[in-house]
Amino acid sequence: MTLRDLWRFSWHALIRHRLRSFMLLLAVTIGVSSVLLLTSIGEGARRFIHQEFASLGSRMMIVLPGRKETTGGSPPIYGTSPRDLTLEDAQALRTIPTITAVAPIIAGTATVSNQSLSREVIILGTNADMFKVRDMHLEKGKMLPQNSQDKATPVCILGAKLAAELFSKNNPIGQRVRIGEYRYRVIGLLQQRGESLGIDLRDMAIIPVRSAEMLFNSPALFRILLQLKQIGSEAYTTRRILQIIAQRHEGEDDITVISQDSVLGAFNKILLAVTASIGGIAAISLFVAGILIMNVSYISVSQRRQEIGLLKSLGASAREIHKIFLVESLLLVTLGSMLGIIFSYALVAIVRYSLTSVPIAIPWWSTLSATLTALIVGLVFSWLPSAKAAAVDPILALKE
Amino acid sequence: MNNSGQVKSDTQQTGNLTIELTSLNKTYIVGGQPLHALQDINLQINQGDYISLMGPSGSGKSTLLNMIGLLDRPDNGHYQLKGRNTESLDEESRAALRRQNIGFVFQSFHLIPRLSAVENVEVPLMLSGVPAKKRRQKVIALLNDLGLGKHIDQLPNQLSGGQLQRVGIARALITAPSILLADEPTGNLDQTSGNDVTDILEKYNQTGITLLVVTHDSTLGSRARRQLKMMDGRLLGTSSNTQENSSLKGRLR
Amino acid sequence: MKTVDYFQWIIKAVAAQKRRTLLTIFGFSTGIAAVILLNSVGESLRQYILQEFTQFGTHIIAITPGKTETLGISGILNTVRPLTLEDAQSLARLPAAKQVVPVVMGTAQVKWGKRGRYTDVAGVTAPALEAWKLEIAKGKFLPYDNIQKPRTFAVLGSLVKQELFGNARAIGNKIHIGGQSFRVTGVLKSKGEFMGVDLDDMVYIPAAKGLQLFNRESLMEIDIFYSPEITTATFQKQVKSLLIQRHNMQDFTLITQDDMLKTLDKILRFVKYAAAGLGAISLLVGTVGIVTILTITVTERTHEVGLLRAIGFAPHQIRSLFLGEAVLLAINSGIIGYLIAMSLLFVAKLLLPGIPVGFNLWVLLLALAVSILIGIIAGWRPASQAAKLEPVIALRAE
Repeated sequence: MTLRDLWRFSWHALIRHRLRSFMLLLAVTIGVSSVLLLTSIGEGARRFIHQEFASLGSRMMIVLPGRKETTGGSPPIYGTSPRDLTLEDAQALRTIPTITAVAPIIAGTATVSNQSLSREVIILGTNADMFKVRDMHLEKGKMLPQNSQDKATPVCILGAKLAAELFSKNNPIGQRVRIGEYRYRVIGLLQQRGESLGIDLRDMAIIPVRSAEMLFNSPALFRILLQLKQIGSEAYTTRRILQIIAQRHEGEDDITVISQDSVLGAFNKILLAVTASIGGIAAISLFVAGILIMNVSYISVSQRRQEIGLLKSLGASAREIHKIFLVESLLLVTLGSMLGIIFSYALVAIVRYSLTSVPIAIPWWSTLSATLTALIVGLVFSWLPSAKAAAVDPILALKE
Repeated sequence: MNNSGQVKSDTQQTGNLTIELTSLNKTYIVGGQPLHALQDINLQINQGDYISLMGPSGSGKSTLLNMIGLLDRPDNGHYQLKGRNTESLDEESRAALRRQNIGFVFQSFHLIPRLSAVENVEVPLMLSGVPAKKRRQKVIALLNDLGLGKHIDQLPNQLSGGQLQRVGIARALITAPSILLADEPTGNLDQTSGNDVTDILEKYNQTGITLLVVTHDSTLGSRARRQLKMMDGRLLGTSSNTQENSSLKGRLR
Repeated sequence: MKTVDYFQWIIKAVAAQKRRTLLTIFGFSTGIAAVILLNSVGESLRQYILQEFTQFGTHIIAITPGKTETLGISGILNTVRPLTLEDAQSLARLPAAKQVVPVVMGTAQVKWGKRGRYTDVAGVTAPALEAWKLEIAKGKFLPYDNIQKPRTFAVLGSLVKQELFGNARAIGNKIHIGGQSFRVTGVLKSKGEFMGVDLDDMVYIPAAKGLQLFNRESLMEIDIFYSPEITTATFQKQVKSLLIQRHNMQDFTLITQDDMLKTLDKILRFVKYAAAGLGAISLLVGTVGIVTILTITVTERTHEVGLLRAIGFAPHQIRSLFLGEAVLLAINSGIIGYLIAMSLLFVAKLLLPGIPVGFNLWVLLLALAVSILIGIIAGWRPASQAAKLEPVIALRAE
């Protein structure tokens, strides 16, 4: 039988029992759709995090004071160590040829007040390079002065929400605020942007790093952020950083260097694992669909015994009969998969369109595995019933 | 014999009128065209009558049988069963009437394949709530009467055509109905079995059960005391095997 | 119709088609098993995590300097107004306070002779032993010294001890941390991991020394363990007013264990229900399966329906017969699904003994209830179709 005739034959068989075929189709479609849609959520989360990191530039590296020996554990998040990481240390890193920007950070909390209004927020003491490394932009006003690492200029840049709280609709630029014991002049306003790696950019203030040293009475850096000229130089740069610091710290390289890669890599792995697991669990429904296919196939075979007997008497071999019934199931499964794919992609497209901030997408490997699983399920679960059809004795069948 | 379609029973015993059909009509739509299955049927049947209903296929005889058996509703006209009007009854009440008064025998037996002979015959009793032991006794007794004593636990696929129909008859009779309706009871049987089955039906008619047999076999049909013929949905004249008629026939000779 | 007969009828009907029935049950029970399993996994996870979090008890309040609660890292940052050891001392004088532990943490290199290791260093005080449920393996924990001028003692976590001393005796020896020397007074028993942090890779020194070591004025946190006889709200107020008095303003943040747990629990519950929801997809497909098979069955048994009606079965009786078959299938699936899930869980328990798995009557009852409900829903339409069949047409059907 030619393939075309085979398709047509199967198609007619399916059409004959509309409700039955519809239900089987429904089962397969639900199975495939659920795998695709659920993995799209996981993939969306993964892409979201990538996006977040991408906005920071994949060329970013972070230096933390302190070091831990336990492999695979978390980096020293406390940021406290006996030997401070200083502004001079940060300055020394500028000599590394692969680095284009160095942003030292002194961080703390303090109350920022404008006359009677006040708010306690995070204060970041840093320099102009910070904006480059973290891709931050000003809504209004001026950047931090170039000598932020040397001079404790009493100026500050406010986050959008903080400015709104303290100055409501008025222009904060040029105004004075009080931070801790000192007075600062507002020189800039940060662009509206949400959270970035845990810090709410709307609700904070940025001052020159030397001013922060004075404000908090401590020269210890919280972090140093670096930007590479290009990706690929992480290993070399890390080596050089450790060298320089060790030189300056009496032979101890008591710091931790993190590159975006490693953090992202860890996240990636976890999310992929979770997404795949979710997909796998959803695929159980395909297994259940398979059982239904087997059930209905058996029924179909016993109901079509005469038809099979007739086909055999006309010359069809057992193998051909087997093939015919397999093709029917495969046709059904293929159709169901296609419907599932169309439905899922459409739904995802709609969600993307209406909620542009959520980058959900169906990973290609999910579509592939779901379809493959469906096909295998269809094949495996219709094998036995088809074999039964192939074994029908034409003489007995036609007598019925 | 008049040709107005009015047929009267030979034995006009007053008070024994079981079934009275008046101006019954039924039209089906088949393939877009109206089919007048029953046209202006008038019929009176007394308890204990033995009637055969014959005619070419499509004449409406099965339809009439189904009407009488409360399986179908007429479009208009009246059907009185034992003095009760049946048209206004809802489905549940009709079911109850069927249960209490009517037994069906079918051409294709319609036994339930997963139940044994005795279990098949028990079904009507089970419906009426008769407890298991009591109904089993009754059924076995009846099956023995019908010569099926050795087959009571066999499944339908183990029985011959004649045996299957006898089980069917047993099922129809087990609730002691006053009316037995048989639609082509011998249609799927060979000559011998067919005769056996007809003998059995007649035997039970003798005990007072009204018997109405639809058949296309005129030999079978002529065994009935009243023979009705249908054509195109109408009841034609009647012929009977009573003494009166044969003496009339004799006088005409 | 007698109840006994009814049950016999539907059992016989369902049992008559062995393969079909078995496959239908298999499919549906897989769905039920999936839901039960995932729900159990979710619940186990929830209990495990909550357990880990509440191992220190629930009557804890943590105080961090600064007002903003920025993902809990505010304690690590610099602050204009410090949280001091004196604050901790005065808080300890509150009547309902059982233990007060001032905390400052960091990483440093700990050296003994030629061996050194970068590890976490926790600056605490004596009550930390009981409050944090630490267990001494050898020696003693930090003593109740003058909080401002403590002796330079240190207590080692089991991993640090192993790395620096191997099998040799650690107690009495002097180790160096950040240039200062500390005498080892105790070694802790192994505590394992908590949320990815190795608790054995830690050295405990007095808080005052910790502040010195890391060059800080302010503690990172003060943990107060309070008596269960007082309500959280009341104690919270007491702590707040005391500190406001000392600081002249509320420049600190109070975090109650209650709040944290509530939030955590909410999240975990959500995860659990999401997991069960995943399982429900299989259940949905299983339901589609039941409906399909029932519909086919009803169609096949059209004759039977016609016959039963001819005998005198009323439409509602026909419906209840087929509905009964549906529910019977569903109940069996529910029981088998439950058994499958339980078996798998017990096997899992053998491999991972930490999992809290047990026979739960409620789960079984719920599984049965859901099965019955689905059986009725799935079977309703096919059964109603059967009931609506016109007897004449049914009898004539091929």
